[in-house]
Amino acid sequence: MHETAQLDQDVPMDDLKDEDLYAALLHEMKNNLVLMAITMDQVPRTGAPDHDQPLNEARRLCQRVSERLMQALMIYKSNVGGLILNAMDAYSPEDFVAEMAIQARYLQTPLQVDTVVEEGVPSLWFFDRNMLELALVNAVHNSISYARSRVVIRARMDGDMLCISVEDDSDGYPAHILKAVAENKPLTSNGTGLGLRFANLIARAHTKNGTCGALSLRNDNGSVFEMRVP
Amino acid sequence: MTDQIDFKSKRALVIDDFPGMRTAFKAALASFGMSRVDLAASGDEALMRVKNTKYDIIISDYNLGDAKDGQQVLEEMRYRKLITLGTVYLMVTAESVYERVVAAAELAPDDYLIKPFNGEILRNRLEAILFKKQAFREVHKSFANGDLERALSECNVVIKTNPKCLVDAMRLKGEILIAMGDLQAAGELYSEISAMRAVPWSRLGLAKTLHLQRKEEEAEEVLSLVLENHPGLVAAYDLLADVQLAQNRSMDAQATLTRATQVSAKSARRQRRLGEVAYQNKDLKTAEVAFKGAIEKGRYSVFANPNDVGSLARVYLEQDQPRAAGEVLIANAKQLAENDEGKLVNLVVKSALSSKNGNQREAQALVQEALRLRKAAGGRCSPDLAMDMVQVCVGLGMEQEAGQLLEEVASNAHDSTDLLNRAKDIYRDAGKESVAQTILQKATGKVAQLSKQGALLMQAGDLVQGADLLKKASEAAPRNPRVLMNAVWATLRLIAQHGNSGGRLGNAKRMLGDAAELAPDHPRLAELRSAMREVEKRLKAPELNVACVE
Repeated sequence: MHETAQLDQDVPMDDLKDEDLYAALLHEMKNNLVLMAITMDQVPRTGAPDHDQPLNEARRLCQRVSERLMQALMIYKSNVGGLILNAMDAYSPEDFVAEMAIQARYLQTPLQVDTVVEEGVPSLWFFDRNMLELALVNAVHNSISYARSRVVIRARMDGDMLCISVEDDSDGYPAHILKAVAENKPLTSNGTGLGLRFANLIARAHTKNGTCGALSLRNDNGSVFEMRVP
Repeated sequence: MTDQIDFKSKRALVIDDFPGMRTAFKAALASFGMSRVDLAASGDEALMRVKNTKYDIIISDYNLGDAKDGQQVLEEMRYRKLITLGTVYLMVTAESVYERVVAAAELAPDDYLIKPFNGEILRNRLEAILFKKQAFREVHKSFANGDLERALSECNVVIKTNPKCLVDAMRLKGEILIAMGDLQAAGELYSEISAMRAVPWSRLGLAKTLHLQRKEEEAEEVLSLVLENHPGLVAAYDLLADVQLAQNRSMDAQATLTRATQVSAKSARRQRRLGEVAYQNKDLKTAEVAFKGAIEKGRYSVFANPNDVGSLARVYLEQDQPRAAGEVLIANAKQLAENDEGKLVNLVVKSALSSKNGNQREAQALVQEALRLRKAAGGRCSPDLAMDMVQVCVGLGMEQEAGQLLEEVASNAHDSTDLLNRAKDIYRDAGKESVAQTILQKATGKVAQLSKQGALLMQAGDLVQGADLLKKASEAAPRNPRVLMNAVWATLRLIAQHGNSGGRLGNAKRMLGDAAELAPDHPRLAELRSAMREVEKRLKAPELNVACVE
């Protein structure tokens, strides 16, 4: 468990192109983040707040660093070569929201995490599950940070689109964020912008017969983060 | 999910080049009860372990350092039948390469897990895959046993009863239908899925079906659409090259395969095909690079083929670079010593080199040994390599040996223009063009004539005579899969009309078996197998049997 990843010693650094070097570095960083998460999973909870709280906080931070790294990379890549979803396939929306709930509960939140699959949602829907999950997990973690008592992950049909939403009972989104997303303007300030840009990118990459998916935010007794995919 | 998966009874293998990750996986798996977990640091180590131990679950990182990647490991395990359809294979990748990895996969793993992830997600994904394996257990079992009818009916049960598995079941049903040769039904199924959503694999399945039905233009249209939307989808390029070759557009096929190797250079088989097509197009530079690639990528894998060494050496010799050809032999000496095929390549290239260097006696001895080895191995060798031997013999004035060998090769290749042209070139360069004409005429004339007459008679409805001539053609060209398949087709039509007498069905089966051994990927095989099953079914039905008596 205590071994640290190192760049392959057999490769002379001079021979590495910049992109190879960055790729190797990122590979190493990601491995270390997985290791850190799994290592923290092995620290038992004692029930004592002065032990469990910092541990939970550390897990959350670890998760956040992972997400940021990944979002930054994806946005960079989409700027370079566009985003093509080759892994589009049929998945169960029910299983999908259940996995999102696992992602939420993993952080040992005292909040209540519920899943709802509304009537009319089919057994299968076509989407790129791993990508959609990467986009939504960020919203789940945001809600965990701001909700008072409850987070709901919901699947419902909105016309011809499957809508997956993350809802909480927080104070809701500030007006400038709602405005920016509604106007489809890229956000640049602080971390929130990155996650939203990423989610927007993923939603729009889901296309069917000329229509594409969409990201929307609104307030309804708390914040509601919605991704629609055709 | 109401049932629980019993992880305790499962055995797992974790493949990762990073020691910390292996340990972490082991800990994560232990946390949900899996104690029987083996670790492998490389693809080769994993292959060794899988040979000796049966695993229920294999978890592999895609990136395994410089050696084989997780996808190559999966493909080699499946190809060598070290794992079954029931074995779980979970691929772990980084999101930055995820979409590219998915597009380059010729064989899909059960799922992709994106790094970073946590233990709970790992467990959830494994559970989902294991439930799916349970749902498909009977289908997989029948499919593996070759009982395609049963696999199909089991698959239909899943389609009717398990809505969450519907699309997976349809995908598998498409593969079963293609294996059965029921191309009509397969095409309809893929169209149905594509109408639900044009996912890459459904369109690819549709294009494959069209190609097998020889509707090449329609297949190309579908593939162009797929590649427009998914330019990284390597399997689409491979299929497009097949479609182009079927239309004798070898220059287009070369361009397509070149693009495919630019997208993914890792497959030895793809590099080999590019080399073969480029050689056919007389683009020796491209062929050289491609065969080099095939040797490099195939090394230490089940996809290594000693004929790649022979092909590269041939390309060097034709470019007048004997030294490079010699170096290829030395660099691959170990691989060439492993089997008869390799030893033959070694002898033939060496004899060509000796001949080129003016060392006639040595060349003669070497090619004599090659001829002996070829005979001892049952006459099995690649037609190009046999033609290399003809070339050496002609150059050394060993006319009789050259003639015999050419006759044998040509009689099995009356319809391979490229090969016959090469023979003519060899003799022309030696100033003996008329000798080649005589040999080729003798070797191919009979088969060509029997084939043509047989086909005409079949067309005219004289099945008895027609099938007889086509069978005679197959006896004159016992190593030509196309001739064999024509004879099978004719014999099956004959049985359907006039019943099974004189061991017709047995003959058809044997010929189809021979054809399948010679050209296991030939598009016509499935169709013939399907026709064979149809005929057998009718022979078994008693009321028809009476009507069929001659």
